[in-house]
Amino acid sequence: MQCLHCDLSEQGHRVRLGEGEGEKQMAICTGCSLLCEDIVASFENGSLKHAKNLCRRGHGHFQAALTERTRPLIDGEQVAVDKAIERAAEILKSAKRPLLYGWSHCTQQAQFAGMALAEKLGTTAEVTLDGASSFCEGILMERILAGKISTCTLDDVRNYADTSIFWGSDPSSSHPRHLSRFSYYPRGEKRQRSYEEERTCIAVDVRRSPTAQLCSNYYFRLQSGGDAQFMEAVLAVLDGKIPKVADKKKMIELATILKKTEWGAIFPGPGLIYSLQDKMDLFEQLLARLNEITSFKVVPMLADCNARGFNELLFEKTGHAGSVSIQGGSAAYSAEHSVLAAAKKCDAVLAVGSDPLADLPIGTARALARQPIIAIDPRRSLTTDAAKVVIPSALTGLEAGGTAVRMDGVKINFEPIMKSELLTDEQILVRIMEAI
Amino acid sequence: MAEIEVALVAVRDIFQDEAGRKSLFSEEYRILSALITLDKQDMAGLAVKDGDKLLVKSEAGSIVVAARASKDDAKEAHPGLAFMCISPWYSQLVPDDGCERISVEATLAPTTASVTAIAEIQARMKS
Amino acid sequence: MVSAMEIYMLLPKTNCKKCGLPTCMAFAVGLLGRQKKVDECTPLIEEKKYEAKLKKLREVMAPLENASETGLIIHPEKCFGCGNCVVACPVNVAAEPTRTAVGLGPEGDKVILRVEDGVVVANNLKECRRFGPGGTQCNACTATCPSKAIEFV
Repeated sequence: MQCLHCDLSEQGHRVRLGEGEGEKQMAICTGCSLLCEDIVASFENGSLKHAKNLCRRGHGHFQAALTERTRPLIDGEQVAVDKAIERAAEILKSAKRPLLYGWSHCTQQAQFAGMALAEKLGTTAEVTLDGASSFCEGILMERILAGKISTCTLDDVRNYADTSIFWGSDPSSSHPRHLSRFSYYPRGEKRQRSYEEERTCIAVDVRRSPTAQLCSNYYFRLQSGGDAQFMEAVLAVLDGKIPKVADKKKMIELATILKKTEWGAIFPGPGLIYSLQDKMDLFEQLLARLNEITSFKVVPMLADCNARGFNELLFEKTGHAGSVSIQGGSAAYSAEHSVLAAAKKCDAVLAVGSDPLADLPIGTARALARQPIIAIDPRRSLTTDAAKVVIPSALTGLEAGGTAVRMDGVKINFEPIMKSELLTDEQILVRIMEAI
Repeated sequence: MAEIEVALVAVRDIFQDEAGRKSLFSEEYRILSALITLDKQDMAGLAVKDGDKLLVKSEAGSIVVAARASKDDAKEAHPGLAFMCISPWYSQLVPDDGCERISVEATLAPTTASVTAIAEIQARMKS
Repeated sequence: MVSAMEIYMLLPKTNCKKCGLPTCMAFAVGLLGRQKKVDECTPLIEEKKYEAKLKKLREVMAPLENASETGLIIHPEKCFGCGNCVVACPVNVAAEPTRTAVGLGPEGDKVILRVEDGVVVANNLKECRRFGPGGTQCNACTATCPSKAIEFV
């Protein structure tokens, strides 16, 4: 079958397999920030023949390699990839306020190359460098990276945690193997009797998500925006005071569990972060109080496979996890340089492995669409459809190797398992930089 | 004409995510994304059943989606609170500072219009 | 999962005893427990007036046909591929103490549950604790499923 986007057949598409076709290969899944390393996959005739241990989400991710691949385009016309790169460099070179956005699906190596590109552009322009997390998980990430909130690895959770709290997060839907690999079901060094006898899971959410369903005994349903009130109630019961909630008995039960906890782990998701926004200090207060009683760590539920890598890179440079402006050789945090603000002022957009036109609020998306967009992406998206220049790239983890940082900070290295002639994000960014 | 106000919260769904990974432009993705989950009381208030179309309007924009009753039992009724998957449809409703809000305020009204197509959303980017 | 009452409503309700049981309700329970088959209700099969009921009965009984001897049914279209059941299953845990017991995918073939192509599949059901007359009511896999993709008849 002819690919709709390029001259190759769907099967002969970017996946050209030499030795190793038909054989089973170990692979890493880059479908979410768990970066599962025990995947076994085999390919035949360019399609995924068989895969073990991939969850439904990861399986979809592996299969996505084979459809809707992009090809090099300028103004909708196919060109040689070198021409597209050249045009991208021209656009960026002449921009006064370029926005470089995305990055969370890139390897660390590509992120470093992106930073180098941003710094080079920054010698003559006002560059904004941002990712999707600046208005969400990034807020939590900063506090973790700054040491204000104590954290741990997922392996620590598996080995030691006897209480796992899913707060405004639904890992069963977003990181399906979270509970089976780390946070509830597996045995660990100090948790040999695991979920049956030694682990408790608690869900705090506005709806009975699939995860909340599993935590049935300890599911706390909040009103939308009620997280601060809930935290205050928890602080109250921990101090032996009467909590200001309807179900006082349940709250007191919760306090008992928290006090008996030997080693607790909290996994906050967008639900908590959006609810608290500028009241994050209250969460820190709760954590401090819990850590007076026992040990409670926080692991952020980042969505994309290397969102943390990008947060860490920006943090290292600026002390912040997002909204970075690079000008005259220096990088600094600036609220004006979050993608939401920069969208209205930028005069060129580089979208790397991201789909801002689908993900961002419509007003912001429209502002971006008014500017020339360069999209570096392996697959077709709303952004690639609207882009002036499209540069096809190799899929991180499948066709491009490198390093990604798991949600808990553990670095995972991987080699590509599918041969591809496509350039990697890193190679593309380096070439753009050279052309400037 | 019946019309109600809701707080709209974005959630993840593994099947909708899977459909989106195959293609953002497919019917399957549209069916799973252009879908609002309402409390049974709100469905009754609007006099709609599963599959009926609703016009969803917020300060940022509007879309037409299909309605679906939530499976929560009476003890966990949530009138006034509605859910949609994170998707380009949802993004149409989010005000520019909406990323800093826990939920989006929207009004819902039954409509006979068809569900907004992805092509329509793409066209809106250009205006 | 269909109930005995729902099955009863699709039977003749005459208590004719042709199936060997005293009442249609007993037959409904027997169908659910798979000790009886639909075809043993001769009036339902032979009399034209029960045609619609027979059709409906076969429809609701169909998923049970696929249930294994342990009564395990998997609905792959509902499965998240999360691996909770794989890691919770006590037979899996005993078979692979360095793999499934600690959250990793299995390597060998003695496990009952594994995730393949994104969803759970079952093998070696003879090893399941529920199997056979001496079986226990182990429900590790069904109790840990976020989507009721795995259930017992």
